Amino acid sequence: MILAQQFGFLDEYAKKEIRRTSLKAVAIPGYQVPYSSREMPMGRGFGTGGLQLTLALIGAGEVLKVIDQGSDDSVNAVNLRSFIEMTCPGVGTTRVTGEADLIQSRHRIPEKPLREDQLLVLQVPYPDPLVVVEASEEKRKQLHGEADYSRLLVKLYEDIVKFDEITISHRYPTRINDHYVIDPSPIPRWDVPKLHMSKALVLLGAGREKKIYAVPPYTKAEPLAFEDKPFRVEAFLDEQGRRRACARCGCDNSFLDEYVDSNSGEQVYRCSDADWCDEQLARQTAAEVIYG
Amino acid sequence: MLEVSAIWTAHVQQQNYRALLDAISHPGRVKSILHQQGGLASLAVLATLLDAEVSLADPDDLLEAEDWPLLQASAAAPGEADYILCRGNRAARFQPKLGSLPSPERSATLIIYVDSLHRGELKLSLKGPGVNGNADCSIAGLDPDWIRRREEWVCGYPLGVDLLLVDDSAVLALPRTTKVEVA
Ligand SMILES: [Zn+2]
Repeated sequence: MILAQQFGFLDEYAKKEIRRTSLKAVAIPGYQVPYSSREMPMGRGFGTGGLQLTLALIGAGEVLKVIDQGSDDSVNAVNLRSFIEMTCPGVGTTRVTGEADLIQSRHRIPEKPLREDQLLVLQVPYPDPLVVVEASEEKRKQLHGEADYSRLLVKLYEDIVKFDEITISHRYPTRINDHYVIDPSPIPRWDVPKLHMSKALVLLGAGREKKIYAVPPYTKAEPLAFEDKPFRVEAFLDEQGRRRACARCGCDNSFLDEYVDSNSGEQVYRCSDADWCDEQLARQTAAEVIYG
Repeated sequence: MLEVSAIWTAHVQQQNYRALLDAISHPGRVKSILHQQGGLASLAVLATLLDAEVSLADPDDLLEAEDWPLLQASAAAPGEADYILCRGNRAARFQPKLGSLPSPERSATLIIYVDSLHRGELKLSLKGPGVNGNADCSIAGLDPDWIRRREEWVCGYPLGVDLLLVDDSAVLALPRTTKVEVA
């Protein structure tokens, strides 16, 4: 195995372009800043946009966490993490949210509130929420510039009327700083409120679509909604209307994944965020030790 | 303080980039810039951001001739430049590019050299994205005319300019979204 000589795999020109782009993205919250997006040694669509951001950001001595659908151990997360470990000597990795300086994630924002000194990179497959109502990128850019989302709102309202509720489970269109509407990446509705006035900077990278955008800290992030149909996060209620809890740690205020128990055939719910689940379980065990 | 060539190294540029990212994410926050002894922090900022893909204007001749080939950026007039390096103690004398409605990023970033970001006669109160409530800063060596001109440049959001105020060793950012009041 030949190790890349270059710290962070990318050449310094590629990093500079990503750095310039990310600064513009923070200065114009929610605006999709175009950049040239280099080829990576993995297919676009495997988080190359997020990976390029991470490689341009990270320095020796920093600690990185990589998660995919809430898990540090899925194939995608493991591949991305080992690629960064191999190409960035001196960078540490962790599974513990609170220990990470940088977190690169697909599909989830950690349950544990992020701090000001942390930075979240989200991998984005489809950055433009206006694609569903306008095919021409040129026209979409004009609409974004004017903050004209009337057609998107009509589309959203039609869906609500048809199904009598908000059916969008992921990628909920969210307005940033009263202007640009973003695709917040395939995070569930549950995670969208975490973007609002977040203490941590959130950078979003779409490698295939060659766009970088940002939700700066302490910035409004408001899911599109209507007075008669307010935005709601997933409720996770059982048949009796009670909030379901994680079968492993008992937590009843986390985003749950649904499994089918292979023995009983019953539905089982567990925290989607693996580190959160571990932390709740450890806390419980500690409490049991103390209180017997 | 660093030895002469360190601002051109990847390791230092990574750290300076993170200082810039932190500064622009938190308008009003003063972030240290690694720079060479006797050199300008503004040169370290330019070294971090510039290459042959972008253009630079230096209307106040703050750069030495030997800096240009290292920066690699093409020289441009202030009205056309992607980056403009200038002195804060004189009033603005140019109209930077502000971008367009579909492409607001095609706007200038101004790197304004000031005397101090820690204490000064110009007291500013900041609000907006990145600011938790209010942020105060006081700057020495920034002509108040910059604040008035900036107001004209950023009033057509998302068009605008982003300001990086740099003293001998640190940076403070005023992105276009920041509401600035002179206190
Ligand atoms: Zn759990």
